[in-house]
Amino acid sequence: MAFRAKKLSSQKLLKKGVLEEELCTGCGACVGLCPYQVIYHDRTVQLHYCDLEDGKCYAFCPRTPTDLSALRELLFNSDDLTPEIGAVKSYYFSRAADSRLRASAQHGGTVTALMELALAEGLIDSAIVSSCSQEFLPKGTVVNEKAALRNNAGSKFTVSPTVAAFNQSVNDKSGQIGVVATPCQALALAKMKTRPQEDESGKINQLQLVIGLYCGWTLSAEKFTKLLAQNSIALNSLKGMDIPAGKNILELYTNNGIRAVPFDDVQACVRESCRYCLDSTAEYADISVGSARFGNDWEEMRRWNQLIVRTAKGKELVELAVKNGALEIREAPADSLQELKKAAIEKKNTALKNIIRKSGSTKNLLYLDRHDPIVQKFLKNKASDKECR
Amino acid sequence: MSKLLSTAKTEVLFMGNEAIARGALEAGLSVATGYPGTPSSEVIETLAAVAKERKLYVEWSTNEKVALEVAAAASFAGLRSMCVMKQNGVNVASDFLLHLTASGTRGGIVLVTCEDPGALSSVNEGESRYFARMLEIPLLEPANFQEAKDLTKWAFELSEKIRNVVILRSVTRMSHASGNVICGKLPNKFRAARFVYDGLITDPLRGPVISTPVVAKHTLQQKKLKKAVELFEDSPFNSYSGPRHPELLIITSSVCYLYSREALGMLGLQKRVGILKLGCTWPLSAKLLKKYLRLTDKIMIVEEVLPFLEENVKIVAAGMLKEIGIKTFYGKMDGTLPSVGELNPDLVVHALGKIMKVQYKSLTESYMKEIKKIARLIPDRELTFCPGCPHRASFWSINTALQLDGRGGFVCGDIGCYAMAALFPAIGFNTVRTLHSMGSGTGLASGFAKLSAFGLDKPILAVCGDSTFYHAVIPALINAQHNRADITFIVLDNAGTAMTGFQPHPGLAVSAMGESVPDVDIAEICSAIGAKVAISDPFDLEGTSRTLTSFMAESGSLKVLILRQICALSPEKKGKKKYLMQVDEELCLGENCGCNRLCTRIFRCPALTWDRIKKKAAVDEVICAGCGVCYSICPQKAIMRTEATN
Amino acid sequence: MKKLLTKDPTNIIITGVGGQGNVLASRVLAGMLVSAGYFVTIGETFGMSQRGGSVMSHLRISSKSALSPQIPQGRADIIIALEPVEALRVLVKYGNPAVAVLSNSRVVYPIGVITGDFVYPSLDEIESALEKLTTHSWLIDATGAAVELGNPVLGNIVLIGALANTAMLPFDRHSFEREIAKDMSADMRKLNLAAFDAGAKMI
Repeated sequence: MAFRAKKLSSQKLLKKGVLEEELCTGCGACVGLCPYQVIYHDRTVQLHYCDLEDGKCYAFCPRTPTDLSALRELLFNSDDLTPEIGAVKSYYFSRAADSRLRASAQHGGTVTALMELALAEGLIDSAIVSSCSQEFLPKGTVVNEKAALRNNAGSKFTVSPTVAAFNQSVNDKSGQIGVVATPCQALALAKMKTRPQEDESGKINQLQLVIGLYCGWTLSAEKFTKLLAQNSIALNSLKGMDIPAGKNILELYTNNGIRAVPFDDVQACVRESCRYCLDSTAEYADISVGSARFGNDWEEMRRWNQLIVRTAKGKELVELAVKNGALEIREAPADSLQELKKAAIEKKNTALKNIIRKSGSTKNLLYLDRHDPIVQKFLKNKASDKECR
Repeated sequence: MSKLLSTAKTEVLFMGNEAIARGALEAGLSVATGYPGTPSSEVIETLAAVAKERKLYVEWSTNEKVALEVAAAASFAGLRSMCVMKQNGVNVASDFLLHLTASGTRGGIVLVTCEDPGALSSVNEGESRYFARMLEIPLLEPANFQEAKDLTKWAFELSEKIRNVVILRSVTRMSHASGNVICGKLPNKFRAARFVYDGLITDPLRGPVISTPVVAKHTLQQKKLKKAVELFEDSPFNSYSGPRHPELLIITSSVCYLYSREALGMLGLQKRVGILKLGCTWPLSAKLLKKYLRLTDKIMIVEEVLPFLEENVKIVAAGMLKEIGIKTFYGKMDGTLPSVGELNPDLVVHALGKIMKVQYKSLTESYMKEIKKIARLIPDRELTFCPGCPHRASFWSINTALQLDGRGGFVCGDIGCYAMAALFPAIGFNTVRTLHSMGSGTGLASGFAKLSAFGLDKPILAVCGDSTFYHAVIPALINAQHNRADITFIVLDNAGTAMTGFQPHPGLAVSAMGESVPDVDIAEICSAIGAKVAISDPFDLEGTSRTLTSFMAESGSLKVLILRQICALSPEKKGKKKYLMQVDEELCLGENCGCNRLCTRIFRCPALTWDRIKKKAAVDEVICAGCGVCYSICPQKAIMRTEATN
Repeated sequence: MKKLLTKDPTNIIITGVGGQGNVLASRVLAGMLVSAGYFVTIGETFGMSQRGGSVMSHLRISSKSALSPQIPQGRADIIIALEPVEALRVLVKYGNPAVAVLSNSRVVYPIGVITGDFVYPSLDEIESALEKLTTHSWLIDATGAAVELGNPVLGNIVLIGALANTAMLPFDRHSFEREIAKDMSADMRKLNLAAFDAGAKMI
């Protein structure tokens, strides 16, 4: 007698494969699609049991098995692809031309300047960014005005479920959207693009622009809150944070001045899922922006960004921004691309090591496809490292 | 006029419980107490309705122990009193009962226990007949509705003859069944209360009422029991019907007598099998039994649930083997009858058929085949909270809060309508993980919360209803506070003892007899205990889950959340709807919503249905109670609500 | 003149969903028959099943003596159902080729059907089942008539009225009038009589 095993619901697969495995990045891709998943503080919570199969939550999640090479093929020109940092059409240092903007920004204000321009030029009708760190836990917020954009500028060090905001806010009236996304969020948005077009919502077609952010890790809200308490820093006095290059600390900008916390203590607060992330430069965005920090020129470089242009759309926007005088660009210093790639390689290797340790086998790479040529390249490197020893 | 007051010689259709009440009235009852419990509640309810005319004092006490104490006081003062409860209640009253039978009583006092074999409305099918044996109290069991009245009346006489409490035992199929009863006379004299206590401590009738000196009083108690047995020997409530030389003797009591008689009729065995119906089932009269055990060597005992009668008959028989000969016993102990669950005529027919080797002619094979086919079409009808029930909303919020908290917390459940959250996990949204007796949820929670020292680090919640709170929860709550058990305790206050039929309790300012009385406020009690108390409307889903989430995040204190919203079926509500609910068919995306039918599949309100043809949700206006809660759960906001103009 | 029972005892089951007025219907019917001089035994459960579960009242009518409050399997003579699938549920356990069924046609969906776990049989399937398992059956929209009179719960009285006109039992409108005069106010009596008449008309 034939016996067919019951397929697990997408929600259950998500729970078993991602949430219980501590792979969840908190990107919010599975939230806002239905009433079952919500983000609470920085945790993804399943409120009720859903028995649907082939669900969007599972399909959009950046930590479910993903065919990355198919994604790359869809989004980028194969000539532009680099194994370390994804597609690179061009690489610059950049900063917002408006000095007032730069003053309120984390580093060079590039992201805000680009989004402002995109809004002003009607390339997008609204932008989804992570909200200002007045609330310690940021969340995605929709803005369509310059002032609002500027108010929300600045890096956040705990995850913002920005993709949830995309899911929830995009509708017939919101027009074209631009999103500022971390690497995992950019990947989720990219995965959404590969859903068959008969998906009735078609919301993803309204996504015009993704500006990605470099990211090394994010902090667990719960652990970080405890750390702050241990250092007698009140949550509501925190205005911002940064990691100055070369010093082993996290700088905290509070109402009562600047405090420093040893980086090792901060490391212990890193969100577990970050340990399994290979992407330090938001490889699946149109444009990726990070801090220009490197070595001795910190104080000078701190007010500049690194800028990677990846797609034709990104190129178009950057050129427009330069032409309109919203953005200043300059050639990057000689070794900065080298340094960037080195850092990227290190992150990939560490992540792979962690993944293999977690799964217990090089044949099981959790959400990665071990046949992916880029993954294989790094696996081989690891193997040869081993042999060299 | 209540039929309980019918004139003598009238034939009335009485429910078993009504017949018991009538019997008590005919005996000159003055005081009746109890705690609501199915299938016993109607005894007190019907007496309360005629309390004025019959000059009664009728009380719903906070629990069965107190109820028995109140009834006992009346007995000590020379009045006739009755205490009514379901089987669980006897366990609660048992400590006092133990001392009561030792101290003895004065005015006739009857403890009525209505049991629930098969657990039709209980979470156990326990028995209280053994209390009679263990505490050495006479036990009576009526076998039909006429006896329910007559035996109750006689119980008071027996109680006064032996100066001890008497237990009268009924079951659901007697208490909630109805039959013709011919009424007797209602007395027109009413006793005055007089408590005599000046005599010696050893004088049970004139001294202080006390169970000491223990051995002396115990000796006296056993003498009383012997006297009862003498009275049983000639009692008309024990009777035999059947042939002079039966092949099989059935010994039975309670409603099982009706099943046995019907079974004999169905099998045509009336001329071969005799029935000894016992109305006095503890202690057994050896003299009486000897007479009938002699008739044949095959004895079948039909009773429910445990083999109480069977064991006792065997003990008596073992003591007289020389005179009566060796017997073969059929019953529960040998598997002839099932050892659990309630009995019915079919089960007795099946057992009898095996013993007497008679086949019962039932239906034809072709009819049975049709039945089998059609049976497959029939969907189960699960119990669920009524439309508009505040418990559904409460457990929804509790689930939300537990999921957001994320530590795997759970709820210790308790007894009331909300017990269904444990019995049918889907309607409690899988939050309740333990269920036992009244008030035990809080006690268990108090225990679980101390296990964090052993590594169990989860938020522990307990729920109880407003009536249950007064019954048994208070000591457990004090325990939690005093022993620093960090629990979140939720009172589901729907203003009444709902499951059993809206009897009043101390939280309401009205008594069993409809008088205006002071209420005792739950919030104040909890504050006095030292808990942090908050009150919320369970229909405010967001507010309630927010309060719960913050309570669970707070450690180191006892937190109490009182969820106040009147029961949807409360007579006070008069069926008024607050809102008119309707599903907007444009906004409802039906099966294409991607919400996987959250409203119908998860929320489970019977008034929120699924239109199979339109493939959309629809509100059943006939059964919708208009509470408006479903408005908050639809992600498309397709469930519309408008204020009802009543 | 005392009307006679066609069968002694006559076993009647009134079934429905908790809250539909099953108990009241059995009381009214029993009251009429006791007044007519019969022994009536009713077996009921008012417990948890009142919360939306299946409920049954067993009525045993006899001119001779009291009987067990539970009807043995396969021994129902008349089944009165306030809900159609409950009629089937009772039929399957207590039916026999000579049984007659009078049922309301208005569906109350079990929660398991609403959630999609179970399927509710179609009207055709129900009618066909009734035909196969009974000697005579009627499906009437008692709730519809009751709603017209302003209160859906009157469906139980509509069925009593219909039952009277099937002439299967020894009672009539007169007996009903006398029975409700015992406890109801004048307004309630008028409404209940209207419901009775509406039901009688449907047969």
